[in-house]
Amino acid sequence: MDQLKTLLATAPDRIQAAPNLEALREVENQLLGRKSLVAESRRSLASLPSEERPVVGAQLNEAHQRLTALIEGRRADLERIAEDGLLLGDRVDVTLPARELRLGWHHLVTQTLDEVADIFVSLGYGVVTGPEVDTAWHNFDALNTPPTHPSRLESDTMYVDYGNPDDELLLRTQTSTMQVRYMEQHDPPVYIVAPGRCYRADTLDATHSPVFHQIEGLAVDENISMADLKGTLAHFMREFLGSERKIRLLPHFFPFTEPSAEMHVSCFNCDGSGCRVCGKSGWIELLGCGVVDPHVLEAVGYDTSKYSGFAFGVGAERLAMVRHGINHIKHFYENDLRVLRQFT
Amino acid sequence: MKVSVRWLRDYVDVPTEDPDELAEVFSSLGHEVEGYEVLDLQFSGVIVGRVEEVSPHPNADKLRLCRVTTGGDPQDIVCGAWNFEAGAIVPVSVPGAVLAGGLEVGVRALRGIESHGMICSAAELGLGDDHSGIMVLDPEVEVGTKFAELVPLPDVVFDLSITPNRPDAMSMLGIARDLGAYYRLPVRIPAGSLIEVEPESRVKVTLEDPHGCPRYVGREVKDVKVAASPLWMQLRLRSAGIRPINNIVDITNYVLLETGQPLHGFDLDHVAGEEIIVRRAEPGETLRTLDGVDRELSVWDLVITDASGVVAFAGVMGGETSEVSDGTTRVLIEAAHFDPPSVMFTAKRHDLRTEASSRFERGVDPNLPGRAAERAAALMVELAGGRAVAGVQDNYPEVIEPWPVELDLKEIPRLLGIELDREVVIDLLSLIGFESTGQNPLVVTVPTFRPDVRRPADLVEEVARIHGYDKIPETLPVGPGGGLTEAQLTERRLRGLMTGLGFSEAQNWSFVGTEDLENLGLSADDLRRRGIAVRNPLRDLEPLLRTTLLAGLLKSVRFNASHGADRLALFEIGKVFLAEPSPIDARIPNQPDRLAFVAVGEFGSPQVKGGHSIADVYTATATWRALVETLGIPDAVLRQGSPAGFHPGRAADVLVGGTIVGSVGELHPAVVRSFGLEGRVAAGELALEPLVASRSWWVFQEPSTYPPVVFDLAFDLDATVPSRALVELVTESAGEWLESVRVFDEFTGPSLGEGRKSIAVQVWFRAPDHTLTNEEVAPHRDRIVNRVEDSLDAHLRGGT
Ligand SMILES: [Zn+2]
Repeated sequence: MDQLKTLLATAPDRIQAAPNLEALREVENQLLGRKSLVAESRRSLASLPSEERPVVGAQLNEAHQRLTALIEGRRADLERIAEDGLLLGDRVDVTLPARELRLGWHHLVTQTLDEVADIFVSLGYGVVTGPEVDTAWHNFDALNTPPTHPSRLESDTMYVDYGNPDDELLLRTQTSTMQVRYMEQHDPPVYIVAPGRCYRADTLDATHSPVFHQIEGLAVDENISMADLKGTLAHFMREFLGSERKIRLLPHFFPFTEPSAEMHVSCFNCDGSGCRVCGKSGWIELLGCGVVDPHVLEAVGYDTSKYSGFAFGVGAERLAMVRHGINHIKHFYENDLRVLRQFT
Repeated sequence: MKVSVRWLRDYVDVPTEDPDELAEVFSSLGHEVEGYEVLDLQFSGVIVGRVEEVSPHPNADKLRLCRVTTGGDPQDIVCGAWNFEAGAIVPVSVPGAVLAGGLEVGVRALRGIESHGMICSAAELGLGDDHSGIMVLDPEVEVGTKFAELVPLPDVVFDLSITPNRPDAMSMLGIARDLGAYYRLPVRIPAGSLIEVEPESRVKVTLEDPHGCPRYVGREVKDVKVAASPLWMQLRLRSAGIRPINNIVDITNYVLLETGQPLHGFDLDHVAGEEIIVRRAEPGETLRTLDGVDRELSVWDLVITDASGVVAFAGVMGGETSEVSDGTTRVLIEAAHFDPPSVMFTAKRHDLRTEASSRFERGVDPNLPGRAAERAAALMVELAGGRAVAGVQDNYPEVIEPWPVELDLKEIPRLLGIELDREVVIDLLSLIGFESTGQNPLVVTVPTFRPDVRRPADLVEEVARIHGYDKIPETLPVGPGGGLTEAQLTERRLRGLMTGLGFSEAQNWSFVGTEDLENLGLSADDLRRRGIAVRNPLRDLEPLLRTTLLAGLLKSVRFNASHGADRLALFEIGKVFLAEPSPIDARIPNQPDRLAFVAVGEFGSPQVKGGHSIADVYTATATWRALVETLGIPDAVLRQGSPAGFHPGRAADVLVGGTIVGSVGELHPAVVRSFGLEGRVAAGELALEPLVASRSWWVFQEPSTYPPVVFDLAFDLDATVPSRALVELVTESAGEWLESVRVFDEFTGPSLGEGRKSIAVQVWFRAPDHTLTNEEVAPHRDRIVNRVEDSLDAHLRGGT
């Protein structure tokens, strides 16, 4: 049995030393083959006294198992090495872009509109869309904008030749038309956002385009207040521009809200200390908003003593330009692939 | 509006020197700060002098030679300005002086004459932008005074953007009133004591249109001496962006800036009959305005006339005939109230925006004219040596009184989300001149300078503004949970699919030109050829609303090709505008959403090693099939067709539920050429609605665990038979175990004969409950072959 102990002590090194599968088979033959110590000892088991036989037999079995496991382990290693050797002949330059999966890019405007819509969907809002050519009633009158208001001039608004001239069809100048169209069809409570295309008679410059996109928000319910507007916009900005954002409202004027405000958001680039992005003020002016003017609610037949609301409108291009440092609004409409491929 | 802080201090003790702090205050009051400028002295060594003598420069026509004294002996100074004569009091930079911009003044020869310094313009002294002439000072200023001592600097001038609802804030006093409210400080309103002289003025005023002009105050001042106004007034006007003219005109402008009441000064000796009539113009009347332009008047123009005719546009601009000039001695001060729409109409029609019209358009306090005219008269007495004539004309047939507005105090928490005590509300409103009585509702008396405040909501806004928007808390209401509709979700999947297929999303403006629609090969009776016109299109903008997205996409492809891009694949989702009633509102045109795509050149996955595919009709049809399969569009069919603008042999109509929803294929080569492109162009344009329409839920089908029987069939058949017909027939004839039919080969050639082609399909059979044997399938295979041979005049060429 000392022989067996010696064998078990030296076997691992011998097995590991086998340089290839052939040598391993030779070692296996020596350790476990017909003429091996283990095999011969087994054959001589019968000559042992009957009380020793089970003990020795068990030792031999255990030795056989250990040796087999070591050999199989080594064999697996040698097989893998052998296959890798073969595979090296199949080597290629993996940095070669031999094949491409050519995908397209989503436009930044739709990405932005979707992102904003999702923020409000998570607050329980619905998303509504509607016509871009609309009546002056929906774009102006119902929004408390009198016939003499300068925004109705042809220098500001594009009108179209269609239908009854009394309807004064125009290319909507704001998605606020959807406030009116939605409230005409639905009773409160109203929690909607309305993304879409708008038009103004502006010549193209860095920040103005005759075609642009807005997303309008409207909440009308019992006891909706300016505090709700502030909280909602603060949540929107934290979702869109980072959790550290703060907002402030400054008094402003819009015909369809009273009180009206301009929302400024603390600069995401400098965190309010002043930089190029925010024009050194620490704040970025981003959107117009306010408490819905009672005339607007009355125009759609809502009971203003019971319901109040807030509304805001924000330009999709403006949001994207601020966040991504885009210097000219034309980049949204040239469809230059060198620009589109940045819209990741 | 430009606001000088130093000037503002005449009316309110602004308690800060810090312009940034003041900017915050203005913003919080609703007066957006466009910017501010810190002004300080930019010159040294400038002395007040008198021009003793002016003579021509011997060597230069454009220059003059002046003898100027600054207290000592007169010196020669060469000057290029012509807006003064001998006797003028002027700022002189003597040798050694330094001007704005750093120029050091010395003795220097100008065209052969030595000039001992310069007579300075406002721009040279850093006191304005005006280069047009030198500064002419008030004759009372003592010669030899250091000019710097006369200049009220340093100062800060804010540029405020006043919202259209606040006409009252378009004045120094209006801004002072808001600052006073913010800081809780009193506001001082200048009140000169006016001593009038007899006899009474003979001026007669008649209001023929009291709607257009509810009030007209005419006040006469005689014996004025027209000259330069005092330096402080000139500089204040300059700070507001108004060029000083003479003391009389400057005073009317100064009072306008101070009070917000536009004034006009007439030379009363040139007002025929000393009579003023306010009326609408008559056909054929004309007026030469102060800017020297002859205007043809409309019967809607509200005008000021005298006995001889029109002398001014009411509230917009005066006329030349009655202009105040150097020789004027009698002035008629006009301080009136004009109807905003009338002024807006005239200003717009004649393209005349003035300080006066911009205020009248918004609505000036009707109770201001009397005070403003008196203030102007007092200044003319004080600064121009005039004498105010008794007998002011004040035509004000219907006095406009302050009006009451009731405010239920519960509106404050309901609309603002804050609780304010009654006393606090009353106090906040009193700070801006609103008096309140009553318990609840409060009865608030709104002063006539706030025409914008008519309703409780308007009062709530004022309470919020003066209290501070920043004191309103943030609360977050949550809606009932609308979410995205199925169509909205499907549209997003569709966009994801298109980008996954290699198309990039484009956004084109919604306009096309007539020639674009012609170039697209649309026939004259096609609705898409009848684009709706924009009545007032912008220059450089196509004049029609788009009826198809393809024109825009093709132009975008061209734009990219011109920048050397290849592998162009774009899609767009957007509205087209069709001249037919919209299903949602018959007053407006139909504006359906469309999906369109265009691909040119290599398409799909390019390979460095190996081939590539070029976009063609099959790229377009494959795109359609991908949409159908991925979005699960039911009952979708692709049918050989010849849609307008497409290649007659390489295009298809696509149908959903039996209705054509669009076209896919290759564009007609003529269309391709007309958009400046070449080669094959794969394209499609589809109605979006049927693609994203909600549909019934699909039902699960258990995949079989048994192996299939697969066989191929190649048929020789007439070349005109579409492969779709073959696939449909095979499907129909195959029986219950059919799993799929797939076309895997198509060819024509001499071996088949003229007008014949071969199509091979692979057919998979599989049973849900057992392993099919060839013997079981054989009868089905035979039935397929027989039906195809019988119905399609086909022969089985081979099979497995
Ligand atoms: Zn910043």
